[in-house]
Amino acid sequence: MATVKLENIYKSFGETEVLFDINLDINDKEFVVFVGPSGCGKTTLLRIISGLEEVTSGKVIIDDQDVSNAPPVERGISMVFQSYALYPHLSVFENIAFPLRVAKVNEKELEERVFKAADILQLNDRLDFKPGQLSGGQRQRVAIGRSIVRNPKVFLFDEPLSNLDAALRGDMRVELAKLHQNLQTTMIYVTHDQIEAMTMADKIVVLRDGVIEQVGSPMELYHHPKTKFVAGFIGHPKMNFLKASNILVKGAQLTANITDSNSVNLSVEVANTKTGDKIEVGIRPEDVELTSDNKGLPMNIEVVEHIGATVILYGSVEGNSDFCAVLPSDTNVNPGDTVHLALDPSKCHAFNIQGQALYRQVD
Amino acid sequence: MNQFIQMFKPKTKTQTTTLFAWALIAPAALCMFLVVLWPLYETFRLSFTNSNLGTLMEGADFVGWENYEKVIGGRKFPAIVTRTFYWMFLSVGLKVILGLIGATLLASNIRARGIFRALIMPPWIVPIAIGCFGWLWLYNGHFGLLSSFAEMVGITNGPFSFLAYKQSAFYSAVVTDVWIGTPMVSLFFLAAIQGVPKDLYEAAYVDGASRWYRFRRITMPQIMPTVISMALLSAIWTFNSFEIIWILTEGGPRGATTTLIIDTFKTAIFSYKFGAGATRAVLVCLLLGIFSLIYLTVLGWLGKKYGYAGVQK
Repeated sequence: MATVKLENIYKSFGETEVLFDINLDINDKEFVVFVGPSGCGKTTLLRIISGLEEVTSGKVIIDDQDVSNAPPVERGISMVFQSYALYPHLSVFENIAFPLRVAKVNEKELEERVFKAADILQLNDRLDFKPGQLSGGQRQRVAIGRSIVRNPKVFLFDEPLSNLDAALRGDMRVELAKLHQNLQTTMIYVTHDQIEAMTMADKIVVLRDGVIEQVGSPMELYHHPKTKFVAGFIGHPKMNFLKASNILVKGAQLTANITDSNSVNLSVEVANTKTGDKIEVGIRPEDVELTSDNKGLPMNIEVVEHIGATVILYGSVEGNSDFCAVLPSDTNVNPGDTVHLALDPSKCHAFNIQGQALYRQVD
Repeated sequence: MNQFIQMFKPKTKTQTTTLFAWALIAPAALCMFLVVLWPLYETFRLSFTNSNLGTLMEGADFVGWENYEKVIGGRKFPAIVTRTFYWMFLSVGLKVILGLIGATLLASNIRARGIFRALIMPPWIVPIAIGCFGWLWLYNGHFGLLSSFAEMVGITNGPFSFLAYKQSAFYSAVVTDVWIGTPMVSLFFLAAIQGVPKDLYEAAYVDGASRWYRFRRITMPQIMPTVISMALLSAIWTFNSFEIIWILTEGGPRGATTTLIIDTFKTAIFSYKFGAGATRAVLVCLLLGIFSLIYLTVLGWLGKKYGYAGVQK
């Protein structure tokens, strides 16, 4: 049982301000992912929750207790570091046992708890090894073992998978998700990889330049990004943005002209938008289709990537520079071709000139 | 003639490379031979002769083990060896302990630590002789700062010449030796401490480990390889430390600060007994060799057993 509440958190390092007015509620047993580009403050925010950094102002409240000035060990948290931070001179057993030795847990209980953690993480046959003799994935598991052995209220992960190769990262993602189900504890996870955020999170917190851009479930962020930044950050390949040359607002209907002969009718909230405003239309690469007749948005293809299940086309459309489309794998196209794309209006997003999304009236 | 040249011409590419490599190291090797190997051999040879000032003209005679029997059987020899090792252990022990404390303090995140780091350097940077002359004045009974301070606060009731009495002279020499030797040890330890990854400390801090606990279970094991090798080097240097003792006391009073190296110098240079001096030099070599061997074996064994060598297989 642990909730985490962040109230009006500001943080600056000397003159450099890194976090502005962060407010966030994290529920018990929730898997929360902080995601954002490098330098957005996500790691600093995690370190503030852990107690490794002090807040400049604001409060960190864990389980209704203000712990803003408490040392980490009194906060009931444990942390897994990006570099794993394993003690190279200690065996796997002693690495996992370290927090218990600090807490002066008696030998019998200590052994029990270490073996239990090793069991969960399948490290039983590695307990006598030194970290240097383990593979990257195993080191990662030892680091996790060291954090679960203390039965913390909140787990903190600082980009734990970034040092692993792609295949292993995929496996560890699944293992972490399982671990969360088994332990039923609040977890806060920092990453710059939106795939990790999408696959593991109950709740994603998107940070940008020290400000929370949006908080929501993965699908909420995918379907209803509040800003152009979130729209571009979540989803891979990135969402395409098309400048609308002209828009027409009529009732609750917004018609955006993308090229002279192409327009889409968007069902979005238009209260603050009027005819003639500049907007950008967003469409995810996976939401476009080829048209059979030669109508639709013409795209000049520059690069074709066959990745098996799908074909990814990179190129450009008239009046806009880059465009990307994901099509079924049997699509027969070559670099240099021009294809015509149909945009499904129900899947289009619209952003005003400030980068704010116009709320979509779809599910 | 042509055939002769052919003989020395390299036949294969590997041979060319090998010859070239030999040519490159030849000057250095020659230098090493002249200034290290040959003197070493000469010392060893001398130690079996009765070479002295009187034999310089007609040449020394080979006397077999006579010198060794005389030295080892000598009345003062056991005391000198004991004193030398005591001197070494005491001085190196203090240097290591003070070095660790100094390095830990210098590694801490304080304001203007660059200044503090620079400030510990002088004892080591100042030429040893000059440092020693400074200490000579400090130890002086009539004009010395220490003596008058001791008198002022009432420890002594009159001038006290630190270097005039057997015990005080010995410990005074130790203090000076430690003063000169500690900065370098500190700097080596500091470098080792700075090499310990920061996140290890953060991880331990998150787990609630105190400063002392972190020092004991992270810093010490991590810097142990440096401590071990630095302590050995320091032991060898201290064992052979000559100029500090010589400038302060010349081995006196009544031999109280005569270590093996001082004894060697006194015999060989002051008494012109080159053979007997060489014997002592060989014994120094032998004793240090045995000591280093035992030291490394014991620590290697400890490291294996407790794993604080920090070296991963």
